[in-house]
Amino acid sequence: MGDSLLQIKNLRAWYQPDRAVLTDLSIKLREHEAVGLIGLNGAGKTTLLKTLSGIHEGFLADGVWMQGSPVKFRDRDFKKFRYTVFAEDHSFPYFTFREYLSYVFSAYGRKAQDAGPFIQGFHFEEYVDALMKDLSTGNRKKVFLITAFALKPELLLLDEPADGLDFQSTEYLYRQIAGYKEYGTVLFSSHILESITLTSDRVMVLEDGQIGKIFEDGSINAENIREALRYENDI
Amino acid sequence: MKTIFKIFANKMFGVRYERLAKAIFIDLIVFWGLYSSGFRIQIRPFILYLMVSTFTAGVMRQTLSAEAHADDMMNLLMLPFERKAFIFGYVSGLGVYTVLVRTGMLLAAVYAIASWSSLEIICSGLCACNAVLMTAAVYAWRKRQGAGTIWAGAFTASIFLLQDTRIFSAVTVGNALAAAVFLSGADAYSFYRKEGRRKQVRRVSRRHSVWRYLFRYLASHKNYLANTAVMWGAACVLPVMFGQMESRAALPVGFAVLSINTPVCILLSCDPALEQAVRLLPGQKKAFCIPYCLFVFLCNTIADVIYLMSWELQAGDVTAAAVWMGAFFSFQSAVMSVLLEWFFPLRGWKTQSDLWHHPRKYAVPVLMMLEAGIAGRFLG
Repeated sequence: MGDSLLQIKNLRAWYQPDRAVLTDLSIKLREHEAVGLIGLNGAGKTTLLKTLSGIHEGFLADGVWMQGSPVKFRDRDFKKFRYTVFAEDHSFPYFTFREYLSYVFSAYGRKAQDAGPFIQGFHFEEYVDALMKDLSTGNRKKVFLITAFALKPELLLLDEPADGLDFQSTEYLYRQIAGYKEYGTVLFSSHILESITLTSDRVMVLEDGQIGKIFEDGSINAENIREALRYENDI
Repeated sequence: MKTIFKIFANKMFGVRYERLAKAIFIDLIVFWGLYSSGFRIQIRPFILYLMVSTFTAGVMRQTLSAEAHADDMMNLLMLPFERKAFIFGYVSGLGVYTVLVRTGMLLAAVYAIASWSSLEIICSGLCACNAVLMTAAVYAWRKRQGAGTIWAGAFTASIFLLQDTRIFSAVTVGNALAAAVFLSGADAYSFYRKEGRRKQVRRVSRRHSVWRYLFRYLASHKNYLANTAVMWGAACVLPVMFGQMESRAALPVGFAVLSINTPVCILLSCDPALEQAVRLLPGQKKAFCIPYCLFVFLCNTIADVIYLMSWELQAGDVTAAAVWMGAFFSFQSAVMSVLLEWFFPLRGWKTQSDLWHHPRKYAVPVLMMLEAGIAGRFLG
């Protein structure tokens, strides 16, 4: 784990201006780390990831820095720096997986890499030439996960990556998230404690639109996180 | 029935029925605008009935087929329900939306530009209600498609054959009652638009191509293909109509009319997931928008080529300048359509019909029409 990769100061995001989902949220992601984001439904996990992806329009921040330089979420350079896998994604239904992979690599200005190991790891061999509209929910999710791991962006954003995956693929996903530090930083949201405890270097608890608590290294265990969620939400 | 009606009426009109008030307000503006312009034409009653019936049936069919209802339907059909109450609640919810929001606009326009007796106004309203019930009945019994087609054909024939509005009104009421009887015997599950069987078609290409993507997209939607085919059909017929004007000034008007290819021009609005993905990835103005623009240009150009060929057969005076003008109109309309999609995509729509009949659809053709008027002055 090294220097700051992405820093955001006082991020405020909303769907209706008078009802902010994120309020003065500040976050600092380091290079080469796996960060888990946990929180109850409606805590703002997806909103945060969509804002970082440049998809969400209603937001303001005092500052956003990528490797120390100011940046905007919709800048071309920032787009090339990150890739997002959304919880549900029905885009490009008339591409096959191979075509989508080629399209994404071309968009990022990179030469296509061999995605074979990820295809095998996610047991996706049978579906690489099927149109994405014909894939099941879980297989469609695999398209975007395989693309993300093959692309290896410096910042990988995953929203509920384990949703819809079978047992084997979930295990493989956990290994990929934990091993991603070799290539960059991964920030992922999850409801599943196990996915967080098995993979993360740091865990951020999102509550009331802010990062309430951060767990690191030895303090990352299910009991601590469960307790924090209970305490933060008065349960 | 009341509960089911309310569920779908709220979905279509908004929780406080705000979209209904907005639609009625727009209808009044359209009526007032056209009426006060003093523009009047003669429309024979059977044309009015035909227009109202086919338009309402088309919109109702689109509304019934909307994928957006699938989630609501799945949950409602899981709960215990009374079959007839469900069917009539559902059909009336969608029917009221179709008649008041969609057909209402058409009626506002035709009532403003032509004179009608109160009997003809009532009969046109009956036609709209009948079209709703009949379309729902044919949709529910779509396993017997042949019978539905014959029934629709017979009713259309009656519009032409029965010249007396009183007799036709009686036939329409009878037909609507028959449709209600068929509906009462229908299976509620027939309205549930199940996901198609996932027959996985293999494609062997390893490299991406946005062009290939767009052709697949067009080929996978029969109604989009039909719309494109209708535009090409119109391209054949327009020179015959314009021929009566005996002026080359009408030539650019055809180019403007042929730029209204709605489904092709609203690709991103139609598919919010695609829009999100395109905005997520870097370099998409070049990688996606340029091929998309060229694709719309190609569709427009094919229509214009057909139009010019037909014009040549009718009048025989197509010049190189006319060909360039066609290309220019096609290109402009493609560029403007894509710019609108990129900067002002339509969001928050309820059914695809909202998209197809959104006022923004007419922005590009209206601009083209203005240009056609200017170009026509030079040609005339």
